[in-house]
Amino acid sequence: MNPESVSAQLASLTREGSALRERPLAEILVSLEAVLEGWRDPASRWRRELESRLAAATGFAPETLRQGLELGLEGWSGPALRAVVEAELGSIEKDHEARDGSIRGYASTAVILAGSIPMPSLLALLTPLLLRSPVLAKPASRDPITAALVARSVAEIDPQLGDCLQLAAFPGHDPACTRALLQAECVVAMGSDATLSEIAAALPAGRKLVAHGHRASIAVLGEEATRGHALEEFASALALDAALWDQLGCLSPIAVYVVGGGHEASERTASALATALEYAETRWPAGRVEAAAAAERAHEIEVARMRAAAGARVSLHEGADGRWAVVCEEDAQLRAAPLHRFLRVHPVEDLTALESAVEPLARHLAGVAQAGFGNASTAAEKLFARLGASHICAPGRLQAPPLGWHRDGQPVLLPLARLDDRQSTRPRAAS
Amino acid sequence: MSADPARAGIDARLLEWMSEPQWRRDDERFRSLALELFAHQFEHCEPYRRFCVSRQATPDRVEDWREIPAVPTGAFKELRLACFPPERTSHVFLTSGTATSQRGSLHLDTLEVYEASLTDSFHRQLLPDLAAGQRIRIEVLAAGALEAPDSSLSHMFEVAVREFGSPESRFAVEGGKLRVPELQARLREDAHRGDAILICGTAFAFVHLLEALGERRMQLPPGSRAMETGGFKGHARALPRAELYAALAAGLGIPETRIVNQYGMTELGSQFYDSVLSDPTGPRRKLEPPWTRLRILDPASGDAVTPGEIGSISVLDLSNSGSVCALQTADLGRSAGEGFEILGREEGAEARGCSIAVDLLLSEGAR
Repeated sequence: MNPESVSAQLASLTREGSALRERPLAEILVSLEAVLEGWRDPASRWRRELESRLAAATGFAPETLRQGLELGLEGWSGPALRAVVEAELGSIEKDHEARDGSIRGYASTAVILAGSIPMPSLLALLTPLLLRSPVLAKPASRDPITAALVARSVAEIDPQLGDCLQLAAFPGHDPACTRALLQAECVVAMGSDATLSEIAAALPAGRKLVAHGHRASIAVLGEEATRGHALEEFASALALDAALWDQLGCLSPIAVYVVGGGHEASERTASALATALEYAETRWPAGRVEAAAAAERAHEIEVARMRAAAGARVSLHEGADGRWAVVCEEDAQLRAAPLHRFLRVHPVEDLTALESAVEPLARHLAGVAQAGFGNASTAAEKLFARLGASHICAPGRLQAPPLGWHRDGQPVLLPLARLDDRQSTRPRAAS
Repeated sequence: MSADPARAGIDARLLEWMSEPQWRRDDERFRSLALELFAHQFEHCEPYRRFCVSRQATPDRVEDWREIPAVPTGAFKELRLACFPPERTSHVFLTSGTATSQRGSLHLDTLEVYEASLTDSFHRQLLPDLAAGQRIRIEVLAAGALEAPDSSLSHMFEVAVREFGSPESRFAVEGGKLRVPELQARLREDAHRGDAILICGTAFAFVHLLEALGERRMQLPPGSRAMETGGFKGHARALPRAELYAALAAGLGIPETRIVNQYGMTELGSQFYDSVLSDPTGPRRKLEPPWTRLRILDPASGDAVTPGEIGSISVLDLSNSGSVCALQTADLGRSAGEGFEILGREEGAEARGCSIAVDLLLSEGAR
C-alpha cells in the first residue's frame, strides 16, 4: 500500500459510513451479536480457522492458543454485548442518532492493532461499528490473521456492515501511510508507550485518540491462601494465568506478592507454583521463544542463580530447558520480568508494604488476581483499584475479562463516541 | 596501579600488551593471563567465588579460559563485584536507570588498564590515519564527565578528547540537553574550514540532531567520520541502523563507510568497534582487541553455537582486572569471519504481546 491508496480507502469508507449511519442501532447490534456468537463458538468455522492459522503465525502452541481463546471468549456473548450497549448508551430502542442525536460515532475510525493476542483486536474492530462508524484497520505485524478473519466474518453475516470494515496492511514504520491513516476522525491505537507517543505526536489537530498502551498484571495472595489445598488450587490457577499467551499479555501476571507469613509463605508459594507450571507445561505447552527473549530469560535465571550462590535469600525453581522459572525473592523490589513463564514471588509484610512495592507499576497496572484475604478482601480490592488495576479477579480468571471490562479505567464504547447536548430552542417565558 | 602486588603484575603484563604497535592475537598469552586473573578474582571477590564454587568451577579445576564462569551483567545491579576493599575504590561507573530502578555499578581502584584499553581501541578503530602527535576536532553528542561523573560513556569521551582531541573539541550536551543551535554553528564552521572531524555520541543523540537539521544538508569535510553507540530502548523515536546511517550520510555528508558503531557497556573495560575504518576493504564486522575473547552461546544450553548462528554474547575481557573478567550478556550476536556482529532487537519491532517489560517500565524516567 502507499499513502494515496490509504487515503482513498479512508475516503471511500467515510462515504460508506453515511449509509451505515442511517441504519437503526438495534439492527446493527443483532448482526454484531451474531458475529460475536460465532467467534465464541469453538466449533465455528472462524474460530477453527483462527486456531489453525494463528498458531503457525505467532508461535503459540496450538493447545495453549485454544485454551486462551476458550477462556477469553467464554463470556463474550451476544447478550453480553447488548448489556454493554445498554449500560453505556442507554436504551437500544431509543436509537440515539435518530431521536436526539446525543451520542454518535465519528465519521471514520482508524484502528491500529498490535501484538498477537486476538481478543483485543476483535473488540477494537467491532465496537466502532456499533456506533455506526466505519473502520479502517491496520493489522498487527505480529498477527496478520485475526483482523482479516474478523472482517470476513462480519461481511458474511452482514455484507453492508462488512463493507464498513476494511484493512490497510502496511509496515509499521511507514510514516507516510501512518500519516494517511491518522486522517480518520477517531484513531484507536494499541502498542508500546513509545509507539503511542509517536502516534499522538503525528495526529492532526482535532482528531480523537483512544490509546491502549502496554500493561502489566500481578497476583496477590493473603497468607491463608498459602497453605494446604488452597495453595495448590491457587497455584494451579495462577499457572494457567501465566501460561496462557506465554505470559505475553497485559493480563498475564509477572509477579506474585505474598502478604504476611514471611519468607516461609513465599517459599511455599514458589514451590507450589513450580509444581503447577510443570504440570501446565504438559497441558498448555510453551510456544516458540525468539532468540532475544530466550537470552533475556536465561540471563535473569543466571542472575538469580548468582544471587543465591552469593548468599542472598533467593531460590530458583526452573523447568527443563528453561521452559518456565520461578524465583522466590527475599524482598519486594521490582526486578526485570523477562516473561515467557518467568514468575517472581515476593514476600511483603502487609498491604501497606504492598502498596509501596507496587507503586512504580501503578501507571501500567492492568489486572490483579487476588485470594486469601478473608474479611479484608474489600480493603485489598480497594487498594488494587487505587493502584490503577481495572481487572480485579480470582486466580485463574485474569485471562477472562468480561466483555464490558473497563480497560485502562475507560468504558468500552463511550470513548469512541461524540456526545452533544441539545437543549430546547424555545425561548424561555419571562417570569 | 593496583595496590595488590599479584594484580599489579597482571596489569603490568596487560599494559605491555596494549602498548604494542600491532594488535597480535596470541592465544597462549591470553590463556595464561585469563587463568591467572580468574584465580585472582576467585580469591578476592567473595560473591564471585561462591558463584564459581556453586558451579564447581574453581581455579584448580579450570584449565581452559572458556570454562571460567561468566557473570550475568545483571548481577552488577545486585552485587559489588570487585577484587579490592571498598575503601580503595577510586571510580564507580553506573549503568543507566532511575531513582526507582537498580543501577549496575562497576567499581574501579585504578583507571590505568581501563584507560589504556579504551585509548588503544579508540585510536586503532576510529583514528587509524591519525599520525603520532596529530589531533582532530572531536564533537561529542554526550555530556562531559564533569556533568555525568558516573557515566562510563562520558568518561570514555573525556579520555578520547584528552588523548586525541584538538582544543576546539566540544561536548554538545549541557544541562542534560543537546545544544543544537551551537552544535550546528560549529559544524557549519567545520564545513567551511575544511578540516576533518570526528563526531561521536549515542544513536539517539544523532537522531535528535538529524531531526533538528530537517531538510537542511551539511557537507562535513572529507576524512570526517562518525561513531555512534547505544540503541533506542525506551525512546519513542527509533530508527533502524541502516536508515540512521543513510540519514547521517545525507544530513552530514559523512559516507556510510565512515560511520562506526561501537559495542560497549558499563560493566566492560574494553569496547568493540566496526572495522570499516581499520580495515576498509573488508566486510563490516566488529573486531576483538587481542586481550578479549567473545563467544556466541545458545541461551538455553550455554554451549557455543555453530559459527554464523545467532546466540547470546559472552565476553572475556582481561581489562576487567579489578572486577570480574568473564561476563554473560543478554545481547544477541553472531560470528562474522574473524570478527562478529551485534544483532540488536530490530529497532521499532512490534512486541508479540502487550505486556510491558518491567525493566523498560522502570527505565522510562531515563528518557
